[in-house]
Amino acid sequence: MKLSQQARDVLDTAKRHNRVTPEEDRDIEEIVALLPDDHAMLYKNVDSNPIGDFYRYSIHIRIQHMLIFSTFLLLAFTGLPIHYNTAFWALPFNNLLGGLDVTRVIHRTLAVTMIFAMIYHFLTIGLGTLFKVRAKVFEFGRTVLPSMKDARDIKQDMLFFAGKCDARPEMDKFMYKQKIHYFAAGFGNTVMVVSGSSFLFPDFWASVLPIQMASHFQEMMRLSHPHEALLALLVVAFWHWYNVHLAPGRFPMQWTFLTGKITREHQIEEHFLEYLRCIVTMPEERSYLRKLIEDKKIWGASSQ
Amino acid sequence: MGMLIRWCVACILPLLLGFAGTALAFEDDEACLMCHKYPKMGRVTEEGVQKSYYVIPEVFSKTVHRNVPCRDCHTYITELPHKPVKEGVTCNAECHSIKNPATGKPFTHKPIYDEYKKSVHGREKTAAGNDADKPYCIDCHTNPLYNATEEAPPKKIVDRCVVCHEDRKFAEKWYNHTSRRIREVKRSPQEIVALCTRCHSDKQMLERHQRTAKEEGRTLGRKFLIAGESYDESFHGKVVKYGNTKAANCLDCHANTVNYYLSVHQLIPSRDPLSPVSPQNRVQTCKQCHLMADQNYAALDPHPSSKKEDNLFKHYADMIYGIVGDSVLALLVGMAWFETWGRWRDGASWRFRNGSSWWRRTRRKSNRISP
Repeated sequence: MKLSQQARDVLDTAKRHNRVTPEEDRDIEEIVALLPDDHAMLYKNVDSNPIGDFYRYSIHIRIQHMLIFSTFLLLAFTGLPIHYNTAFWALPFNNLLGGLDVTRVIHRTLAVTMIFAMIYHFLTIGLGTLFKVRAKVFEFGRTVLPSMKDARDIKQDMLFFAGKCDARPEMDKFMYKQKIHYFAAGFGNTVMVVSGSSFLFPDFWASVLPIQMASHFQEMMRLSHPHEALLALLVVAFWHWYNVHLAPGRFPMQWTFLTGKITREHQIEEHFLEYLRCIVTMPEERSYLRKLIEDKKIWGASSQ
Repeated sequence: MGMLIRWCVACILPLLLGFAGTALAFEDDEACLMCHKYPKMGRVTEEGVQKSYYVIPEVFSKTVHRNVPCRDCHTYITELPHKPVKEGVTCNAECHSIKNPATGKPFTHKPIYDEYKKSVHGREKTAAGNDADKPYCIDCHTNPLYNATEEAPPKKIVDRCVVCHEDRKFAEKWYNHTSRRIREVKRSPQEIVALCTRCHSDKQMLERHQRTAKEEGRTLGRKFLIAGESYDESFHGKVVKYGNTKAANCLDCHANTVNYYLSVHQLIPSRDPLSPVSPQNRVQTCKQCHLMADQNYAALDPHPSSKKEDNLFKHYADMIYGIVGDSVLALLVGMAWFETWGRWRDGASWRFRNGSSWWRRTRRKSNRISP
């Protein structure tokens, strides 16, 4: 496979960060040259462990995900019966949880837990980034921050799904969908925390805002809290669960949130640039690839 | 023969009118129960409304008015059988038999009635037109019963009372009367909201009053038409609905809490400077619960709606939120379907088989090669 300039840069950076020996470098270049030109041939022919093959998320990220999703669902279950109080299910649902006085305590306790998870997350990624910068191994491309490449990836992916393009884009550790979801969740959480606090401390918020804004702010927050909650719940139900449970190749579920690992076929299909880093850091992956390519005779034209 | 007819009438009449109670539980010196003890005592009015004139002696004897002879309130009854009643009881009448223990004068509800008459709800018993929509005393006040637990005051207390007051029954009733007031027995917030919204959520009635006010050049409050529904949507309304007793109900803000039981009869429009929700008094009213409330806080709309005529900002904010929310959801669901279609054509399967999701053959050049 002749790597694209971007893939070449990622590979070279990975080699530099991992201080590969000349022998390893030769081995890596041989394997890269052997890779099929159409990387679809690669993700369709590799064998994967459904539980996961490559390390992706640390235990901290998995704990944060657990905290966020459990608190998120319970917050929705305790909050929606209050917003939709006229619905036939609202009163029995609220009573099921112990009545309003209990659900309000549950709701606020969960909110505090979710805020703790957010702080924990910012500490994790903040300190993680700091360590990487100090060790001089920080790569912007591996972060969840959006770039122009994401816009190009969306365009190419849409063309691929429409059958107008032969290959999916070469995406990094976080693809455009994950970035959209991450920032949507971040924005949503911020809105929920601010609006929730305006319910708990309306007098504080009124006192710090100009009198002309105080009422509009409170009204916006009263609108935002249920709207954002419902939107988040529907996005999670229809999109996030689709992506991690229902999409072809992901059914019945990705185990990443528990094991922290991603399958080989998924890594190559949607995170090809990250897979190149795996080739650099994992000699056993290079051995596996060499055997696979020889067994199935799927080497690329540049290997001739 | 005559004797036989009289016996038949004597046996059949109770069957036709229904069985009356066998024993009178209160003094009926005026013999009103001679007729009103029959369950089927009543008529259908010209408007087709069924009216019952049945008095259940056992129940009436447990009410707060049990010691008041009928004709103290029904003053127009001067003969038996009496003539059709036109006006009925007015609550500002003076009792002839009951004395006010504080003044020694005949007891009357007139002082509170006069306060009520000055309020926005004030009306005559026989008011016509829009005034007839306003609540009269009995729309809010029933003739409440003393409940079973109140009928059993602690023996230790009654024993002490009867040392001087002799009559144990009197002591028990007096205990019921005072303990009820000491314990601040009043309607629950839910009952208060239900009571107020019985009229303030009646669209037809409210629109009728608004039309009249417009014709007469009077101004009504901005929330007049939507007071009930906007309160129900508010934070206070929702938690009160679920049984919370600390969140504000209608009277917590619209009545003055300095003398709650008096001020609920003195309700006045919010534009009146004396109203607890007038701009002049709002901060103080909010401070009853929200201790840090200031002018900014008092500027918050306590029951906002998204109606255009009530709150333009919220109306459009709500609309934009809805459009954005629906669009985002439609976009994401559309994207998910599009991706499913595209990846299915590429060979991705839902089922994982032999270490791969790509075991299906497709029309594309790249397919999984069997080992």
